[in-house]
Parts: sequence; C-alpha cells; structure tokens
Amino acid sequence: MIKVSNLSKSFHGNLILDDLSVEIEKGDVVALIGSSGAGKSTFLRALNCLEQADKGVLDLEGFKVDFSTITNKQRLELRKQTAMVFQHFNLFQHRTALDNVKEGLKIVKKMNDREAAQIALEQLEQVGLSDRAHYYPKHLSGGQQQRVGIARALAMKPKLLLLDEPTSALDPELVGEVLQTIKKTAATGQTMILVSHEMSFVYEVASKVLFLDKGKIVEEGTPDQVFNHPTSERAKEFLHNYFRNKTGNQ
Amino acid sequence: MGEIFDINAVFTSIPRLLEVLPVSLQITVISMIVGLVFALLFAVIRMKKIPVLSQLVTVFISFIRGTPIIVQLYLTYNGIPLLLKFINQEYGTDYNINAVPAMLFVLVTFAFNEAAYNSETIRAALQSVNKGQIEAAESLGMTYLQVLKRVIMPQALVVAIPPLGNALIGLLKGTSLAFVAGVIEMTAKGKIISGSNFRFFEVYLALAIIYWVMTIIIEQLLRYMERRFSIPDSAQAVNRGGWFSWGRRGI
Repeated sequence: MIKVSNLSKSFHGNLILDDLSVEIEKGDVVALIGSSGAGKSTFLRALNCLEQADKGVLDLEGFKVDFSTITNKQRLELRKQTAMVFQHFNLFQHRTALDNVKEGLKIVKKMNDREAAQIALEQLEQVGLSDRAHYYPKHLSGGQQQRVGIARALAMKPKLLLLDEPTSALDPELVGEVLQTIKKTAATGQTMILVSHEMSFVYEVASKVLFLDKGKIVEEGTPDQVFNHPTSERAKEFLHNYFRNKTGNQ
Repeated sequence: MGEIFDINAVFTSIPRLLEVLPVSLQITVISMIVGLVFALLFAVIRMKKIPVLSQLVTVFISFIRGTPIIVQLYLTYNGIPLLLKFINQEYGTDYNINAVPAMLFVLVTFAFNEAAYNSETIRAALQSVNKGQIEAAESLGMTYLQVLKRVIMPQALVVAIPPLGNALIGLLKGTSLAFVAGVIEMTAKGKIISGSNFRFFEVYLALAIIYWVMTIIIEQLLRYMERRFSIPDSAQAVNRGGWFSWGRRGI
C-alpha cells in the first residue's frame, strides 16, 4: 500500500500542488489526467524528489518519508525504491541499450557485471529489444528508445513505477509499441502512476483515474466513473473538449 | 665557420636538445594533470555556486587570465621564498629557502595557470550534458558523485578534448619560459648551445623542429582519443566492430 498525504508545492508564489492525498493499492495502475499546468508531472516528480515538495508525507509500503525534512540518505533510498520513465526517454547517450539497463544494477545495486548483464538482457527481451542490445540510443527509433527506458526502470524492481507522459514525444506510428509494453507491464502486477494524454489507453489500462486541476484532485475513481459519469464541472468540460477535438481531427 | 648556414649544426644540436626533452615533457605532463584536477574542482565549485569559494575562484581565474605567464613565473619565483621566510619567522621553523627546487616554482605556476584556463572549458563541457540524463541517473538512485563520474564526465570529455588539446599544445610551448625560474629545459639548452657555437639560427631551427614534431604527435594522440570516446556514427559499425565497445569499457 502506498499513501501520499498532504503533498504541497509552490513555485514563485504559485501553488502547483495543493494538499494532495492519494492512496494506491499494490498492483494499481493509477492514471493522472488533466490539462497542461494542472500539476501532473510535478506530482510525479515530487514523489521521487526530482522536484522538492514543500510538505507532504509518503508511505511507500512501510518506508516513510516526510518531504519537508527529507535527508539525503532518505532521498537516495526513495529513488532506489521507485523508478521513472521520462517523456524524452533520457537514455545515457554514451552507452548501448544494454549498458543503459545495466547501469543502475551495477552502480546503485552493486551487482557484478555478469549478474547485471543477465537481468538487463531479460528486461530487454521483455520489451522486445534483445536484438538491439548493442545499439547506441541514437541508432534506435523513439519507440525503441522509450522501451529501453522502460526496461531500465523495470530492471530496478521498483515498488512504484512513475511514467511521465511516456508517449508524448513519439511519432503517432510509434505510440502503439510503447503502450503495448506498458500494458504488458501492468499485467505483471507492477504498481504504477502514469501521466498520459492517451485517454483511450488510460480507460483501458488504468484501475484508478485521478483528474487534476490547479494542483487539486477534482475527480477520482474507476475509468468508468471518471470518463462516463464525471461529477465536477471542470472534469466534464475537459473530457468534453478532449473528445470533441479527437473526433474533429479524424 | 665560414658558411652562412651550416646544416650540420642543425642536426648535431638536435640530439643535444633532446637530452632535456624529458624536462620539458615533465613540466607539461605534471602541470597538465595537476591543472586538470584543480580545474575540475574549480568548475564544480562554480557550478554548485559554493559561497566564498566560488567568489575566490572567480577572482583567481580573472587574475590568471589577466596577467602574462612570465609575470606569474616571476611572482612565484620570488613569492614562495618570501612566504617561506614569513613562515620561518612566525612559527620559528627552519625551512631552507635555497633548497626549494627551481622545478617546483615552474610546476606550481604552470599547473595553476592551466587550472584557471581549463576550468572554464571544463565548466562549459560539464554543463553541455543533457539535464534529462542527469535526472534519469538521479532517479535510479545515484549519488551526485556517481552521476558526475558515470554520466556527466564521460560525455563532457568528448566535448572537452579538442579545447583541452589546444591547451596542452600551448602548455608544451609555454614550457620554454621555464628558464626564467632557472630550469634548463629545451629552450634554455638551446640558448646554452648557441652561446658556445654561435650557430644561433641553426640551433633555434633545430629547436623549432622538435617543438613542431612534438605538437604533431600530440595532435595525433588527441585525434585518436576523440575517435575512441565518441559514439560511432552508424549502427552497423557497432555490430561489426566489437572494438568500439571494447575501447569504451571503463569510462
């Protein structure tokens, strides 16, 4: 069980996260939706301290941290127990796909080279890229790079996987392969929080949807509840606009 | 001595000059290594904006860049003995000022000179590394030092090699000033030889050739390093030649 309580963050006097509290069961796939600037990415990044929250408490299956008093040691420990997939992949450009996945295992988990290589290869196999293990990121397509990013995160066996708009930087053609990989990961029971604009995918894969607006959770529930029976005006408006634009484009 | 130009004097002075080549190389290599260590330290201090230290480093770099190296050599050559005298007086110690080897003055001056110039190069190179990759490394649970060593430095190195190479070549030629502190390196030796055989042009020509050849060798080494540390251009090269990954191991 993962519990976030009273998470707040402001930046230059603007409240980005306004006293957020969420409870996540093991194996949950939580999707964060909302317009840009709603605080979705900041929320995700505050959970592993890439963004320093002003206050709030996180209970990660018993490992507790208070963000207002977090120590360096706690921050490293927190990051070891979580993993992140980034919008722009952020692969280490000077290392091959295999070495990207091995990096955390060797340096953070202190595994020897053979052990790390074995796990890394298994992970690459999982995302369907074992034949690209020795390619450098710049020789891979965006979709392949993101799958390596997912393999790198999963290799760390995180208690919580954070995905920050994993398909937003991809060509439409390449979105599918990454979504497939995420879906497959969700099916293994991996607990994750996903920020995404792919509403139909969210509907399909999420066990819980949070709709954020101005740093607050204004709608929370199963995909069916949030998408088909939203109660707040803001969520109704957002979904209405989203689906209108969607059909308008087609 | 009748000829206007004596080609033999050129060839005979080359081996005599080469006798002290190790001195020039020693100054170059030691100053560069010590200089790079301090340069990295200075760069990190300025990037992390550590109070007091950061300002001190800024002033120091400005001073080194704003004064000729020959003046800096004179300052250390005369300043270190003064400092020792002061220490002897204040703390009742008995350091022998005359026992300080001339080489030390030269190494201190060149090392700090290199540190000042190269710290700017290194700072720019470190900052050129994509911030997203640093965040990715942090999100895996790496400490700042691990991120620096595993992600930032290897990529910054590729960016920094060409300008640092220029600095190295400049340093090798700059060692010709070491004679003002009383160190006999190649240029000083050239002065001595030509002072006895009066074949000034021939000796200095020999000297010029040696510096030139040394520079060419350094350039080749740098080119090799640049190739070795950069990411291969085509995916095929990665598959065919395993030597790329072999050569890159350990960084």
